[in-house]
Amino acid sequence: MNTLTDRYLAATLRSVPTQRRDEIANELRASIDDMIEARTDGGQDATTAEREVLTELGNPDVLAARYADRRLQLIGPAYYLVWLRLLKLLLSFIPALVGTIVAIVEAAEGKGFGAIGPGIFTAIQVAVQIAFWLTVTFAIIERTQATVDLPGWTVDQLPAAPVRPGIPLADTIASVIMLVLTIGYLPFQHYQSWVHGTDGDNIPILDPGLWRFWLPALIVVLVASLIFEVVKYRIGRWTWALFGTKALLDLAFAVPLAWLALSDRLLNPALGERLSWLADADNRNILGLSIAVGTAAIVVLDLVDTALKTRRQTA
Amino acid sequence: MVASLVALRRPDYGYALLQRLTDHGFPVDANTLYPLLRRLEDQGLLSSEWNTEESRPRKFYRTSDEGESMLGRLLDDLAAVQTSVTGLIQGVDR
Repeated sequence: MNTLTDRYLAATLRSVPTQRRDEIANELRASIDDMIEARTDGGQDATTAEREVLTELGNPDVLAARYADRRLQLIGPAYYLVWLRLLKLLLSFIPALVGTIVAIVEAAEGKGFGAIGPGIFTAIQVAVQIAFWLTVTFAIIERTQATVDLPGWTVDQLPAAPVRPGIPLADTIASVIMLVLTIGYLPFQHYQSWVHGTDGDNIPILDPGLWRFWLPALIVVLVASLIFEVVKYRIGRWTWALFGTKALLDLAFAVPLAWLALSDRLLNPALGERLSWLADADNRNILGLSIAVGTAAIVVLDLVDTALKTRRQTA
Repeated sequence: MVASLVALRRPDYGYALLQRLTDHGFPVDANTLYPLLRRLEDQGLLSSEWNTEESRPRKFYRTSDEGESMLGRLLDDLAAVQTSVTGLIQGVDR
């Protein structure tokens, strides 16, 4: 016995929760039989009637999802915007950054222009990884939330709408995540930098001597920036006092970083033993200058952007 | 959903309900109605029992007390919408 109806039921019940399967099966079979009967009573032959009824019921996966009250979307409108913003932010610089680092390392090992290929390849890999894990995380959030929120939703459950046109929550969340990642990276690179010495030991990218003062100081500045993001969100819009604080925090991070880079104290001298390109003082100076100029450019752009926002929102 | 809750003040099974709704001007797809009935039952708005006396066993649904009070609120909302729309139509000059 393997009629179209049997096959349809099996296909539908495959993804329906087990404890309800039998009951849904009985009810759905009865309903299908009712529908077929109504058509055969109207003079149709049984086979055509069965085909038409099952066509009317449609794709069994959709029907099963409706029975199970399952989301037919990976990320719904509730999280889509935060997801999109975070994805754009992360993809905007992390793949390029990692790709550049890999290219520099490869170039330092004497591969010349051959270093560009691995750099681009790594950048693409990193981009795919970021997109995948971010999406998985949000898909899980979507699913865990959905089962909690959906039944018996009433208007009373609406959260108070944040009346703050100035600073979107997504911006704040993205900034906080960025800061946490940066803070986490500083100790992380000390133990796992993917650069290994000849004896297989891990070589930190930043000079371990900096841990005596500069790195803890930079972490303090980053934590202060984190607190600043939260305070800024609570205030809800840019003010000149906030702009001043941000400028101070940015400079407190950027000036030591640029200065360390320019005076060739940022990178671990041990890197030079492994990567011959870095052993050359001229090369180190060029790299330090690039880091300093890059940092300065980012800070200036950020401050100009913030100043424009502040002027618009205080006007 | 409102139509189902109203119609099921008189107990009925899936396909018969579908036909009654269609006859009264609420054409609804079978693949929407059947899962909806189960969800309403899960939410306690409908109660159900199996009837095995007829030619084939059928699950009869009926609007529960909870469903009745929910229905009252929904009908009030609908009436309010109707009033507003009527008011709007009358208030707009042609």
